[in-house]
Amino acid sequence: MTERFSEASGTSAVGGVERRSARSWAGVVWPTLGVGAVLALVPLWLGDSRVMMGIAVLGLAFAAYTIAFNLIFGSTGQLFLCVGALAGIGGYGGAILADIVGLPIVVSIVLSTSAAALAGGLLSWVAVRRSLGVIFTGIVTLIFALTFENLLLGLGELTGGESGFLMEAGKGTFLRSQIPPYYLMLGMVLLTLFVYGSLRRSRYGWAFRALRDDEVAAELAGIDVARYRIFAATIGAAILGLAGALLAFTEGRVSPTTFGFAEVDVVVLVMLAFGGIGSFLGPILGALTFTVIDELLVEVGQLRVFIYGALVIALFLWLPRGVVPALDDLLRRRRAGS
Amino acid sequence: MTASILDGIVLGLQFGLLATGLTLMYGLGGILNLAYGQMAVISAIVTVSIMDAGLPVVPAAAIGIAVGALLGFVLDQTVFRPLYSLRDEARVLLSLLLSLGVALMIDGFLNWLFPLKGLSLFIGGGAIDVFGEPMRRGSLLASGITIVAMGGLVAFFRFTTLGRAVRSVIEDEEGARLVGIDPRKMLRLILVLSGGIAGLVALTRSMVAPVDVTAGFGITVFALIVTVVGGLGSITGALAAGIILGVINAIAASAIGTFMSLVILLVAAAVTILVRPAGLLGVKE
Repeated sequence: MTERFSEASGTSAVGGVERRSARSWAGVVWPTLGVGAVLALVPLWLGDSRVMMGIAVLGLAFAAYTIAFNLIFGSTGQLFLCVGALAGIGGYGGAILADIVGLPIVVSIVLSTSAAALAGGLLSWVAVRRSLGVIFTGIVTLIFALTFENLLLGLGELTGGESGFLMEAGKGTFLRSQIPPYYLMLGMVLLTLFVYGSLRRSRYGWAFRALRDDEVAAELAGIDVARYRIFAATIGAAILGLAGALLAFTEGRVSPTTFGFAEVDVVVLVMLAFGGIGSFLGPILGALTFTVIDELLVEVGQLRVFIYGALVIALFLWLPRGVVPALDDLLRRRRAGS
Repeated sequence: MTASILDGIVLGLQFGLLATGLTLMYGLGGILNLAYGQMAVISAIVTVSIMDAGLPVVPAAAIGIAVGALLGFVLDQTVFRPLYSLRDEARVLLSLLLSLGVALMIDGFLNWLFPLKGLSLFIGGGAIDVFGEPMRRGSLLASGITIVAMGGLVAFFRFTTLGRAVRSVIEDEEGARLVGIDPRKMLRLILVLSGGIAGLVALTRSMVAPVDVTAGFGITVFALIVTVVGGLGSITGALAAGIILGVINAIAASAIGTFMSLVILLVAAAVTILVRPAGLLGVKE
């Protein structure tokens, strides 16, 4: 994928992977801190505007989504079209546990994040067990996402239906103030980035690359492909759940569109294609760039959707030199294996 | 109950016909077209715009369907063109991503240009009794047109040389090539045909309920569910699954509401993939 390409062509700030795993965490820690340092300055610039800070928080949530999607799709080739739904399990789960059941906020977040992780792990387990290919994994997870959306709409007494609900929990705390939620979200994104970077450098990263390059060869070399897939999906889903839950508590409301397929999955796909599938800093750069672009395009209204569509086509056809042949490569190898 | 079943059959016929377009594109060309619903919406919008301009309904509908078919041709010649150099899963995956892009483009454009437009063809006259239940003329006419179209499709694939050529490509692309059939041409034909089918379904659907500019994704999802349950690539499977799911949907919708009935359909599709990946009536390869 993109990453293999940049490995071959030397260094790249975004996709570069040094061929060493043991030597220090510096390659993970410094970029993470660098990103953190730059993003920590954003409130100095936008801190006066409540609206802009809300958008910044949302941008960070999407950065976490994109990193998680990259871990699941980019690293282990599982097309999860239920990013929004998994985040929604975290968001709605947290909101319902805190508001209706009455649990403390931290407990609600932990429980709903675990629920999302469990759901992601189960989906992956089913896909691995039934040896669904990329396409069928995509269809099954899309069906999961749509089922989730319709359940939100159908179980109106619990979820508030189409309009969602405003949350009581967290009212009057720092979660609803103007700037602290940004740093909370930023901390979560940096943690996510660190976890993802560390995974890439551990034996997991080697296993991911091996199973992506050639599933059968990886299996023959003693790598438990099923286990690594399920592991990646579980961690990725946990990230999604946590990001969704934090977003819900900082926004103070949940609604189906916050976690809808069109509003989340499609955007995350664009962000990842933009940033470069499989790279370390690509997803977060893609997500943040896109948040800015999205804001700039707010004027054109519905034409924004048109532009995204054109961008999806252009990105997958031409732009990231690696994407199309790399997808082809990945799949042909997988196919040849299966 | 009888009323629900009859409504379900009306809806199911349309689902079935809708799904044949999707299933043919997948079976023949390995193309999963997520812009399928948007093709139907464009046909509906073109038809309503022409009717607004003063033309009678029949020529307007014919032009609408023709535009759907033309859209299939345009997709084949432009966005889908790079797909044909790919194989197998890579082609399906890229087709999914590209057609998602097309769907977004069409959705965004239509929403921007006609935020409130929808097609609703009202067929006048009183209700007609069917098994003791009053049925609207529009529903009956829509079902009649759908059945005729289905019959035409089945006859085309069974009795004409061209239809047989298409089927031979679905069964064995290499073998078809060896006997002189060009799979690319067959695929172009299917894309045009599926565009026409999408347009026709949009029109018959609008005789029962309005089809508005935002309907595209929903239509694609229904078509996808029916296609998956019927077995990707199977025409008879799609038709049968359409009617079965249509009846289930109508009964469930009146009993527990539309959202939950859609959940049932979605779960049915998920279970089918997991238990019988080749589809309800499909044959394992």
